[in-house]
Amino acid sequence: MSDLTRQIVAIARPGLTWAVHFVAIYALISASCAARAMIGHPTLVIAGGAVTVVAVAACLWSVFAPPAGGSTDLRRAAVWGGLVFALACVANASALFLFQGCGG
Amino acid sequence: MSVTETPTAYSGARKGEDKSFEGVWDTPTGLRKLSSVSHRVVGRRFIYTGFVFFLIAGVLALMVRTQLIVPGNTFLDLETYNQVFTMHGTLMMFLFAIPILEGFAVYLIPLMLGARDLIFPRLGQFGYYCYLFGGIIVLSSFLFDAAPDGGWFMYVPLSTKAHTPGLSADFWLIGITFAEIASVTAAVELITAILCARAPGMSLTKMPVFAWYILITAFMIAIGFPPLIIGSILLEAERLLALPFFDPMLGGDPLLWQHLFWLFGHPEVYIIFLPAAGMVATMLPTFVGKPLFGYGFAVAAVVTMGFISFGLWAHHMFATGLPILSLSLFSAASSMVAVPTAIQIFCFIATLASGRPRLTVPMLFILGFLSIFVIGGLTGVMLASVPFNWQAHDSYFVVAHLHYVLIGGMVFPLIGAFYYWAPHFTGRMMSERLGRWVFGLMFVGFNATFLLMHLTGLRGMPRRVATYAEGLGWDRLNMLSSIGSYILAAGIALFVFDFFRSRRHGPKAPRNPWGAGTLEWLYPPVAPGFNFHAIPPVESREPLWDQPELLEREAHEVDGVMHGIRDGRRETLGCDPVSGAPLYVLRLPHPTWIPMLAAAGLAILFGATLASAYWVCAVGGVIALAAFTLWAWEPSDSGVTRDAGMGHELPVNVVDKRAHMHVALVGTMLVLMALFASLIFGLLYLWNIRPDAAETVTRPGLVAAAVAVVAGIAVAVFGQFTRRTAVSDRNLGAMALSLLTAAAAVASAGALGLSLMPVDPWASALGATLWATGGFTGIVLFVLLYWALFNAARRLTRRTGPGQSMPDFNLATFAKGSGLMVVVAGAFFIAGAMGGVG
Ligand code: HEM
Repeated sequence: MSDLTRQIVAIARPGLTWAVHFVAIYALISASCAARAMIGHPTLVIAGGAVTVVAVAACLWSVFAPPAGGSTDLRRAAVWGGLVFALACVANASALFLFQGCGG
Repeated sequence: MSVTETPTAYSGARKGEDKSFEGVWDTPTGLRKLSSVSHRVVGRRFIYTGFVFFLIAGVLALMVRTQLIVPGNTFLDLETYNQVFTMHGTLMMFLFAIPILEGFAVYLIPLMLGARDLIFPRLGQFGYYCYLFGGIIVLSSFLFDAAPDGGWFMYVPLSTKAHTPGLSADFWLIGITFAEIASVTAAVELITAILCARAPGMSLTKMPVFAWYILITAFMIAIGFPPLIIGSILLEAERLLALPFFDPMLGGDPLLWQHLFWLFGHPEVYIIFLPAAGMVATMLPTFVGKPLFGYGFAVAAVVTMGFISFGLWAHHMFATGLPILSLSLFSAASSMVAVPTAIQIFCFIATLASGRPRLTVPMLFILGFLSIFVIGGLTGVMLASVPFNWQAHDSYFVVAHLHYVLIGGMVFPLIGAFYYWAPHFTGRMMSERLGRWVFGLMFVGFNATFLLMHLTGLRGMPRRVATYAEGLGWDRLNMLSSIGSYILAAGIALFVFDFFRSRRHGPKAPRNPWGAGTLEWLYPPVAPGFNFHAIPPVESREPLWDQPELLEREAHEVDGVMHGIRDGRRETLGCDPVSGAPLYVLRLPHPTWIPMLAAAGLAILFGATLASAYWVCAVGGVIALAAFTLWAWEPSDSGVTRDAGMGHELPVNVVDKRAHMHVALVGTMLVLMALFASLIFGLLYLWNIRPDAAETVTRPGLVAAAVAVVAGIAVAVFGQFTRRTAVSDRNLGAMALSLLTAAAAVASAGALGLSLMPVDPWASALGATLWATGGFTGIVLFVLLYWALFNAARRLTRRTGPGQSMPDFNLATFAKGSGLMVVVAGAFFIAGAMGGVG
């Protein structure tokens, strides 16, 4: 893989991670709070917490280990993109920890 | 640098061997101009048609404002008012904003990237006619006194047959779905063009920032439009065939429509905003005289916005009773999207601060954009907060917010862009003096209309009301808003006048009139039929600033690859998607009527559905299929190499994963996957929220579903083997494997159908959605079957020579995608069969 390709991957990875994380949190909330109520609140919080830790780590990978070489502009894009997405993952999950149940 | 060796013969289509370079690229004249496929012609058509829709929608907006100018007004009756605001929103969102921006992209991208045309010119023409015909269908509803009146988001149950018995909702659903095909095809075309056809040396980092904006936008369209396409098809099926997707009595849910609509609707706002912001990012450096500040930041901002905008859809549904936890998730994402938006705005402000901006007309519009859009963004953050949202929901505050975002974020940059790029359309400059008046009128008029609406909304005036009583504190504000809208309209009218006036009387535009750095200004702006005699190697993002040799000579004398033409064909350079290194010579089609015919066939199909004339639908379908077949039947061009000059000996239309055909196919698969995923979302959603109704659904057949899964895997495996055999030029083997792929496709479709047999689609929403999922997979399998047979027929008739295995190469990718869909659908059916659907 060329330096440039690695940088493109480093830009795309946090975005894809955020997308997967968002879908996971949405699915967990739906599993817990819709009529079927498949999982309880503790499971929701634990599973949500776990995917968030993994997702934030994957996003920060681009921040702390951006691919060397290639273009400085794309490195900057990877670092800043990673940072914003890491923050966004935390924001996605924040309500799980602030609220005690589906109703707030 | 012209090529001198005697080329090897090739089996590609003979087109214009006796013609000069200019002759080959000539735009046909007279009526035959309609058959043109050039991006310049198609792009301009999108732009002009989009602007006409803008004017019509603008007149409708003025009718709304005239009705509301005084309390108790009777200028429009209640029904007409509903039609007028619905058509205003619909035309603006679907037929103006996105198509016109795509038009600019279609026009500018090849010029900026150093390509002679878009890669799929026929697709461009096809998309344009789909858009035109779709728009005509929607507009023609006025003629039948059946204009849609359910609001631009067509909520169910209001839009179901029970509550909207006439044809109005059908006009909306069918016309808009048709027009959306255009947006999706343009998206695939733009993705491929940006990734596969750039000047030598133009790596992704040296790409003009506009191309980044358009690339991300195109991906967003590919993923964002399918949910609405599926939603519209389901709703039309409910109206036409009484399938109960949204009927709560049979386990359906009106909120499913809202989810599907807003899964499209919110990203759409960013789909509208990002290209406009890309125009700003292109124009701003020209007037500041410095490159865009923080290219890397801008790229990060665009990418993050692109992703996060998909996580906001339910903030349009805050008042529907979703669980608080869901609301918080969407509220958080809605607030987070402000971060990349702000990063981007800071890039613009920092660019402004880095030099002394020239206050030209486009620059004024950029300043207008910055101030108005920032206010719209701030009221957006207010609305992202759930408690505030509940207060302001469906009030004029929301109308004010959405117009600040849409007009500030899109219309202002667009008018600025017209002033900036007008020389490309007319060869002349528009008036700086009139332009300032246009800006002044629009800026004052806009703020007078919409700033006050925030207040009207906070004072409690709901949106979508045809009139209001006196003395509620809304009278003065409404009067001023209406006067503001007339001032705004005067600005737009003056702009139209200036545009037409400048065509004849504007000063002739010199080469690179604004002193810009991007390649679209390399040639004098009066458009020839072609773009580059030779495609110059590019060393920076602003080649016209950093490579003075480009402007020192006449444009046609500039050095570059592919000087002249070979084999009498339209050609451009295919490149590596990441590094931009030259990879192959890309053959392009010449003017043709076939895409128009295909679009006309589809228009007949869609239009006849409205009239319930199903045999006419079939005729339309056959016309479209025949046109697509003719389109694809053309001889293949690959299998030979050519000297492209500057030391590049390149194959023609390379057979490779990086080839444009393959990249386009991956883009198409993305669209198909998004359509499929929307159906799976529907299945899971209905199953999850209505367990009681799910209990009542009969189980699908287990054995047949299991057979489908195996057949789906076979589809993928045979497809892959076809590719391998074809690439090594084993004609018979490739033909046999194509036929096996086709057989596996038939087996998959048959097994899925058999598995669904016990399920009654009319008895429950979940059953209907299971059938819709099976039906969609069946259509994909039909395409695969047709394609595999088509490839086999071409081999049988010796239309495929050595090295011409691209259709089989692509078939493998399509087969793998289709196989995956069959396996997923089969797995769902198995789950239903084993656990019981409930
Ligand atoms: C040119 C000046 C414009 C004026 C004076 C204007 C005026 C209005 C007004 C007064 C409404 C509210 C109608 C009601 O709720 O009863 C409205 C709704 C709307 N406008 Fe505009 N508008 C303009 C431009 C635009 C543009 C450029 C767009 C999009 C690109 C747009 C998109 C919409 C949408 C989506 C709605 C909501 C329609 C609905 O509720 O179904 N408008 N407009």
